[in-house]
Amino acid sequence: MPLKRIILEMGTGNDLYGEDYTKACKRAVQDALHHSSLTLFRSLGLERDAMVVDVTVAVQQPDQVDIEEIAAQIPFGTVNVKAVFGGLNVVDDEAGTVSVIASAGVAAKLDLPDGPFVLPKTL
Amino acid sequence: MSQRFTGYAVRLQHQENHVTMARKRLAMELGMGTDLQGQDYTKAAVRALKDALWHNSLTIAPALGYPREAMEVDVEIGVAQPNKVDKAVVAAVLPYGRAQVSVVLGGLDIPNEDGTKVTVIANAAAVVYLDIQEAN
Repeated sequence: MPLKRIILEMGTGNDLYGEDYTKACKRAVQDALHHSSLTLFRSLGLERDAMVVDVTVAVQQPDQVDIEEIAAQIPFGTVNVKAVFGGLNVVDDEAGTVSVIASAGVAAKLDLPDGPFVLPKTL
Repeated sequence: MSQRFTGYAVRLQHQENHVTMARKRLAMELGMGTDLQGQDYTKAAVRALKDALWHNSLTIAPALGYPREAMEVDVEIGVAQPNKVDKAVVAAVLPYGRAQVSVVLGGLDIPNEDGTKVTVIANAAAVVYLDIQEAN
């Protein structure tokens, strides 16, 4: 069966003064996750852990992101994390601070048959 | 004789095509919206719903093999003055699918310093349902 995307969740997060890229990414992923709830697992009798979750986080210094910590934000499924260049750094020259802004995209995919999904008899 | 057979065949085919559907709750999307100066509860509600919908790209319906237009969306809005929300304007936010809008007492009004105006916060939930085919 083909892997089909059921939702793309998007979010943003920041670390205003700590220049912590991982923290900004974690907040972006949490923001993405908590704007929706996938209730179809319970209502259609599907396994949550059958889900494949592709996480992409974007910041100005992607190499400073702890991939493991980002993966730990996802409660179910097989998780893949990718950190890429993006987001936004806002520099305050006067105060000498850098505010780190991260973007996150969380795509949940499921193995689903082609054609209309039919509920199993037990439901 | 041939008449009887035709009738039998038609009935069989009808049984084969007879599918039962069950309304299932697939997803919930959450958002928040404000109107800072205008005390416009409809505007805050519309922004809350847009925040809920455009934080996610929901592709559940096509992934399950159903058209996205088949989605039924229950929109729930919480504001401090529910009677001031124009439900038709809120429903028109949805790009496709059938919308049912309900408005309840909730959200948050934050008064300004001298108590002459309020800043309006609206909460929105969009609950997505789909009629799913049941096994015979």
